[in-house]
Amino acid sequence: MKGFLKNFIILVLILPLLIMFLWSIVNSWPWPYILPQDISFRAFLYIFEPSTKIFRILINSILLSAIVTFFTLLISLPAAKALAFYDFKGKSLVKVLLLLPLIVPILSVAMGIHLSFIRLGIANTYLGVILIHVIPGIPYGVKILLNVFELNGNKMEFQARTLGASKLQVLRYITLPMIMPGLIVAGSIIYISSFTQYFITFLIGGGKIVTYSMVLFPFIESGDRTMASALSVIFVINIGIVLYISEKLVGNIYKNSSKYFV
Amino acid sequence: MKLRILGFLIILSMVFNIGCSKKVEEDISNKTWDEILKLANGTKVTFYGWGGDENINRWLDNVVAKELKEKYNITLERVPMLPDEYLPKLLNEKQAGTKGTIDIVWINGENFYNAKKQGLLYGPFTDKLPNFNKYINKNSPDVKYDFGYPIEGYEAPYGKAQMVFIGDTAKLDYLPRNHLELLELAKKYKGKITYPDVSDFTGSAFVRNIIYDIVGYEKFINLEPDKEKVRKTIQPALDYLLELKPYLWREGKTYPSTLAQLDNMFADGEVYITMNYTPFHVVTKIKEGSFPKTAKSFIFDKGTIGNTHFLAIPFNAPNKAGALVVINHILSPQIQASKYNPEVWGDLPVIEPDLLNDKEKELFKNVDLGEGVIPQDMLLKHRVPEMRADLIPIIESLWREVVLGNGKNN
Repeated sequence: MKGFLKNFIILVLILPLLIMFLWSIVNSWPWPYILPQDISFRAFLYIFEPSTKIFRILINSILLSAIVTFFTLLISLPAAKALAFYDFKGKSLVKVLLLLPLIVPILSVAMGIHLSFIRLGIANTYLGVILIHVIPGIPYGVKILLNVFELNGNKMEFQARTLGASKLQVLRYITLPMIMPGLIVAGSIIYISSFTQYFITFLIGGGKIVTYSMVLFPFIESGDRTMASALSVIFVINIGIVLYISEKLVGNIYKNSSKYFV
Repeated sequence: MKLRILGFLIILSMVFNIGCSKKVEEDISNKTWDEILKLANGTKVTFYGWGGDENINRWLDNVVAKELKEKYNITLERVPMLPDEYLPKLLNEKQAGTKGTIDIVWINGENFYNAKKQGLLYGPFTDKLPNFNKYINKNSPDVKYDFGYPIEGYEAPYGKAQMVFIGDTAKLDYLPRNHLELLELAKKYKGKITYPDVSDFTGSAFVRNIIYDIVGYEKFINLEPDKEKVRKTIQPALDYLLELKPYLWREGKTYPSTLAQLDNMFADGEVYITMNYTPFHVVTKIKEGSFPKTAKSFIFDKGTIGNTHFLAIPFNAPNKAGALVVINHILSPQIQASKYNPEVWGDLPVIEPDLLNDKEKELFKNVDLGEGVIPQDMLLKHRVPEMRADLIPIIESLWREVVLGNGKNN
């Protein structure tokens, strides 16, 4: 029974992906055929055509999302630590405010942000796009790292300090290894959130910064199932690779960390 | 500490302010065409428009961009961005008064109406273009009005579209020639016919087309945009749509939300009729393999709605000279003919056949239209003008109230 349930869940998770993959290489798949009859590679041929620049855009997007992930973590880390270990007035309010980007749709504030960015002169720039992508990533980053800090506590760090480690050494040898798993989970989610942003990239980037979602969305909208599926397959593979790499890293950290701490 | 942050912020804002200090832009409205060509040489032009069709994308990226590079040394950069996305951007830029990033936009209808009203467009510019003066019939309503709204030189025609219906001849006995035959067909093939919701561009056009077929289009030219007056005028059409409703897909309780969905349902054999604004769409789809080979396009005897799509230049385009050269090139017979080819795009040309010489006419004659389509002269003979942009939202809301809502109180 347990085996059946497991297989069933896997099937439910895999099936949509499988159908998407099949759609990416068929032209039509009418009722009542269970399997598509008409295989064609037109979508992948289009994607690999150099004039579409899809791969250059993909690489740019990966780079952009990686930079966004880095900066979001850089901001989230001290924020989460402060929330975990310091008591100050209005702490619970700050905790709620940090979740605002998840609660308030970013579209509703994007127009205002765009106007401010124009005044600051960072609209239509790479910097502007990075900044606007950081916003929806922060709640994930802070929330996950906050829990990790709360779970780990700061006793280890105090111990190291008492034993004479410098602040930097504590960060390097105690804090970072301890929160690494959380850092990687948060990083993956921030990466995905940045990679899937569509409208705000348009608005702030002004079309000067073209990301992968901007190529994908028009095809979904126009209902070209073959093209949309093929582009989505690459989308999923890219995110899959990122998740795989982070999983591997987490696995390694756990292996190493057990040697030192437990 | 606080002071340091403050200082940092001040320096940051200074750096950015220097970055956006304005350069005085050269006014090109008094320049001759040769001077414009010289200015455009070696520049980059950005083209913002819908990017959801691989054929159109490929044509712009390969054919148009390549010719522009060879002929004028201009780099064309296509950005897949819809009016819903770039208009808010332009609006904000207008408010802040900054330089933009967009040189050319692909636009028409309500979007043009709004953009022009809000002063987001540069112009008038069309009289500057040699090809516009040479090949375009300036008195044609297709060139003078965009959804009934005067253009006044603020956009140049790009291509013509005309509504056609597409039916599967293997499944249908006959293809309807008017709304009455469509009703008969719907009764015969219960649940196999439908049209997109009016929130879809083409769905809205379908409803207008039915209205034209029943009450004629002349009544709408001077009709006041008043809901009750519009209701009175289109009442027979609303009655007809209600009569049709129970025989539609899912008894007309719900409608495909987009044309894309209807197209996919047609490809899957779930419905027998679809429709499109690109008259040669059926060829592309058959060739692609998603539509059956027995799909054929048809129109109503009283005609179908045609409209024109346009190219415009935003008020803050950084490279207006380049934009003019690109638009001028798109109006050339060679480009218009290559766009006409259904294997490339199948968009109707905007240039006037009478203004072409024999060699240029040959370009269009050589285009192989393929199976299942209606030839251009036949289409143009059955072409009725688009309704005024301000009437369209009223008709859409009436459809929602009367047809979609419930038919009982009528």
